[in-house]
Amino acid sequence: MLHNPRMTAPSPDAELMALIDRIGHRDEAALRQLYDRTSPKLMGLAMKVVRQREWAEDVLQESFLTIWRAAGDYRASLSPPLAWLGLIVRSRALDLLRRRTADRAQLTQEFDDLMAEQLESDAPNPADTADASEQAWALHQCLSQLEGRQREVVSLAYLREMSHGELSEQLKLPLGTVKTWIRRGLEKLRLCMGRFA
Amino acid sequence: MNLIANPELLELMAASHALGTLRGGARRRFETLAREQAPVRAAALIWQARLSSMTELQPSVVPDPAVWTRIRNMIDAEKARAAIERQRDAANARDAARPSSGGWLRSLALWRGATAAGALATVLAVVVGFNLRDQLLNAPAVQYVAVLSDDQAAASMLVTFDPKKKQLVLQRVGSYSEGADKSLQLWALPPGGAPRSLGVLDNAPALRLAASESDVHAVPTLAITLEAKGGVPAGSGPKGPVVFKGALIEKTI
Repeated sequence: MLHNPRMTAPSPDAELMALIDRIGHRDEAALRQLYDRTSPKLMGLAMKVVRQREWAEDVLQESFLTIWRAAGDYRASLSPPLAWLGLIVRSRALDLLRRRTADRAQLTQEFDDLMAEQLESDAPNPADTADASEQAWALHQCLSQLEGRQREVVSLAYLREMSHGELSEQLKLPLGTVKTWIRRGLEKLRLCMGRFA
Repeated sequence: MNLIANPELLELMAASHALGTLRGGARRRFETLAREQAPVRAAALIWQARLSSMTELQPSVVPDPAVWTRIRNMIDAEKARAAIERQRDAANARDAARPSSGGWLRSLALWRGATAAGALATVLAVVVGFNLRDQLLNAPAVQYVAVLSDDQAAASMLVTFDPKKKQLVLQRVGSYSEGADKSLQLWALPPGGAPRSLGVLDNAPALRLAASESDVHAVPTLAITLEAKGGVPAGSGPKGPVVFKGALIEKTI
């Protein structure tokens, strides 16, 4: 069993949870504090999913309205606070992408250029684990064991809810390569995450 | 399939399920097993939780300060709307005592439905496409913008206010049709006040209504109701259901 050395200090989770509880009681000052604390992190996540700054800012706005309305339900989710916030942002971001896809026929706008994406051949592990939960720290450690592009493909599959086929198309990789990377990536994660808990 | 006897395979399937790459029939079979067998369900939930932390690990990007202003405006509008609803509830309780109140009751239920859907959260860029948004941003005369949506959060009406011409410009962006014997009527919902009519819409795709800045200033929300042909008589409140509503956003130029 490994431990996150950072966790000997008081957990940032406790502070975020206290803010979410106050937001559940309609405390606007707490919402502002949570926004100041977490908006860069959540904006980064929204950017990763929707890839466009204005869309990401719309996602961030909708997410904080969802947080304002749903904070009272947070405790029942049993999630680490930042993961709960992250799931809200991911869900709003995926909603936006779905609406975009539906709008496409009507708006005759071409999003393909925007959607097409080259994989960084040696993507660094970008994680900034400040404020991340113990669980996230474990995942970060395990993802670090994957080769850069493999890690990127696994991350994109999750964050954008993409199938093997969609990943292959958007990342311009052979389908077999995508499948192999994901299978090997998950196998490594399985072995590694098992050591944490 | 005896997944429980093969813990490695169970974990890999649970991980692909949580990642989202387990699809089609394999996904349905795994989910059936998870409903039937607690250890399969437990593995699925553990992997969902583990991978959910992926959302915590992305590099930070500082959002534009205007995003917070927009959030605060939306929350203010939501609070103002809640206050109006309490007022309407009280008014409706009085009306309900009268015999011919069926129409009012129905419309109140729809008001509530439209609000509960949180339809206003769908803001302009999301619904009208960013070309249009760019046009709006480049048109300095427009100081107020609203996208009115139905209870499915589908945009149906784009409203802009041009202070130079003192006009509200309404553009239909959805395919809603009110029918030949009905009219749509636009209302301002000022905080703590009764809905105020801004005009009745005809069937044109773009419509201009004369309005002064004082009509739209300090109005967080606009709504459109479905009324009898020609709208309600002047001075009376809305009689029909709300079909679209949305927040009015003051743009800083």
